[in-house]
Amino acid sequence: MLTKFKGKVYLVNPRYDEVNGIKYYKSVLDIQDDVDLAVIVVPAPAVPKVTDECVRKGVRVTIIISGGFSEVGEEGAKLEEELRRVAQNRIRVLGPNCIGVYNAFNGLDTFFLPEDRMGRPRPGPVALISQSGAVAGAILDWAARRNIGVGLAVNYGNKLDINESELLEYFARDNRVKVIVMYMEGLKYPGEGKKLLEVMKEVSNVKPVVVYKAGRTKAATGAVKSHTAALAGNYEIYHAMLKQANVIEADNLTDAFDMAKALATQPLPRGNRVLVITDSGGMGIQSVDALDMRGLQVPELSESLQEILRKQLPPLAVTRNPIDLTGSATDAMYKFVLDTVLPTSYVDMALIIALMQIPGLTINLGNYIIEAKRFGKPIIVVSFGGNEYVVKFESHLEENGIPVYHAPHRAAKALWALYEYAKIKGVAREW
Amino acid sequence: MNPIIAKALEEGRYKLLEHESFELLRQYNIPVPDFALVQDVNEALKIVKDIGYPVVLKVVSPDIIHKSDVGGVILNINSDDELRSACESIRNNIRERAPYARVTGFLIQKMIPEGLETIIGATRDPIFGHVIAFGLGGVMVEVLQDVSFRIVPITEEDARAMVREIKGYRLFNGYRNMPARDEEAIIYVITKFSELLSDNPNIVEADLNPVIVLERGKGAYAADARFIIGSV
Repeated sequence: MLTKFKGKVYLVNPRYDEVNGIKYYKSVLDIQDDVDLAVIVVPAPAVPKVTDECVRKGVRVTIIISGGFSEVGEEGAKLEEELRRVAQNRIRVLGPNCIGVYNAFNGLDTFFLPEDRMGRPRPGPVALISQSGAVAGAILDWAARRNIGVGLAVNYGNKLDINESELLEYFARDNRVKVIVMYMEGLKYPGEGKKLLEVMKEVSNVKPVVVYKAGRTKAATGAVKSHTAALAGNYEIYHAMLKQANVIEADNLTDAFDMAKALATQPLPRGNRVLVITDSGGMGIQSVDALDMRGLQVPELSESLQEILRKQLPPLAVTRNPIDLTGSATDAMYKFVLDTVLPTSYVDMALIIALMQIPGLTINLGNYIIEAKRFGKPIIVVSFGGNEYVVKFESHLEENGIPVYHAPHRAAKALWALYEYAKIKGVAREW
Repeated sequence: MNPIIAKALEEGRYKLLEHESFELLRQYNIPVPDFALVQDVNEALKIVKDIGYPVVLKVVSPDIIHKSDVGGVILNINSDDELRSACESIRNNIRERAPYARVTGFLIQKMIPEGLETIIGATRDPIFGHVIAFGLGGVMVEVLQDVSFRIVPITEEDARAMVREIKGYRLFNGYRNMPARDEEAIIYVITKFSELLSDNPNIVEADLNPVIVLERGKGAYAADARFIIGSV
């Protein structure tokens, strides 16, 4: 916070005057300047008093990191009630029992995990709302490593005041956010399910919301309850809520970010027909399976179009779709197929499989794929391998807004998410 | 509060009687078979002239929840003689299998022709409020759990999605010698049922079972309904 935050930070601790040349205040009330936000990290019993001081100082928002409230039982719940009385209508509260906010745009970062253990993602179009603090930390670290731009992340803990509905509404208004990913375990208060459903429905109209709801099985119900003091409820109801709200449901965290990556970077398809270009027949078959299971089509190309392709491609190439360029594929062949077929009205999006192990392909293929963005249709790439060259190829694509997946079923899920959202927005039709 | 529910709560009942349930559904335009509450066989014989055979006879009692389990339902009654003996059998069955039960009377209702049997249910969840469930009758719901859920209030589009989401949906389009079913009618029933629940927070649990869906254009009827009520 002290090094990266673009605003001013004041430290408050009654036990110190100065550490490493940085001044400490005895109380927030001793600070001369106005204070916008207070981050409170004191033992739980002291939280109501410190919060009250913040109110008197005129602080408008507080993030209460401290745990030891309703999540630990009856005593804690009483303390939380006391905190509620202090805060209600006087100061906005995030938490308590939360890890707070990560904002890559202005450097506001209340995650107390050290940088060498938790990487910080670059500013980018994905916003994360997480019920679990530890899960949020792990996601950010993971996203930082994969260069996924999670520009904003919030963990709301016991949600004494600010809850997931309000955060969704906030991110819906923030133009830097293109996709909202939400990790939730269970709701807590009577009647709040209905409110969340309404908000999700509205927000989904504005931008895509991807939700992974954990605690799906009866076995996990107890774990959810003790983790977040939430009533897990019946997963069937959550599942229904997500459908009803036009939210895209993920089956796990990687799934959620696979879909978010595509939703954040790709235009929406006008239908469910996929052009598959591959240099491996095997990967082509796997892709057709995966796409079909998601209700997406791989239509056979018209005879006239195939005729055009056959004239330019080597005799062994398969031109029906999937278009199999075989092991003798070159960058130029991919470019030719992309430029010839993608702009036609026969396909709505492209899945490009590039196994870079064959010597005919170079990093320049990446440029051809990036150039094909001009056709205004979604393009995603499946690459699988481990050598340095592959890694370079993949980062080149991702840095230029083409998502890369390591398996056909993950790519298919991402395209499915684009198609689902296109249906929600009413721009896609089924073929 | 809806007067039917208010009356039941006032009388200390947590369950609506058969005719009350039908009346409540009628208020929301949910089709139910022609019905009447009768006290004895003579009244039944008189009323049946208006309703017309075939009919179903059901016991009405605040103390019996599952009527069929105690022999309190007789289907497909086609003549005065059959009606007489049905009254007799139900009385005997109740005397034997539920001697504690107070009998308010009998519900005589028009027998709905055969169709696709579906179930529409509802529960009240503390966090989400009323949740509607939809599935096909028989083993499909109970054994295969082929059920779709939505949270009240639902739109017509939600209701349509609910119907199309279940695996058994194909049966609505006709299968082998079975005709296509009135999908729009069942969508309408689900939508109206959502309205009914929205207006009546006192409903704790409800089952329309079966809702019989007839051939396309011929409608869908709630042939039996059960409402459990309580405080808000």
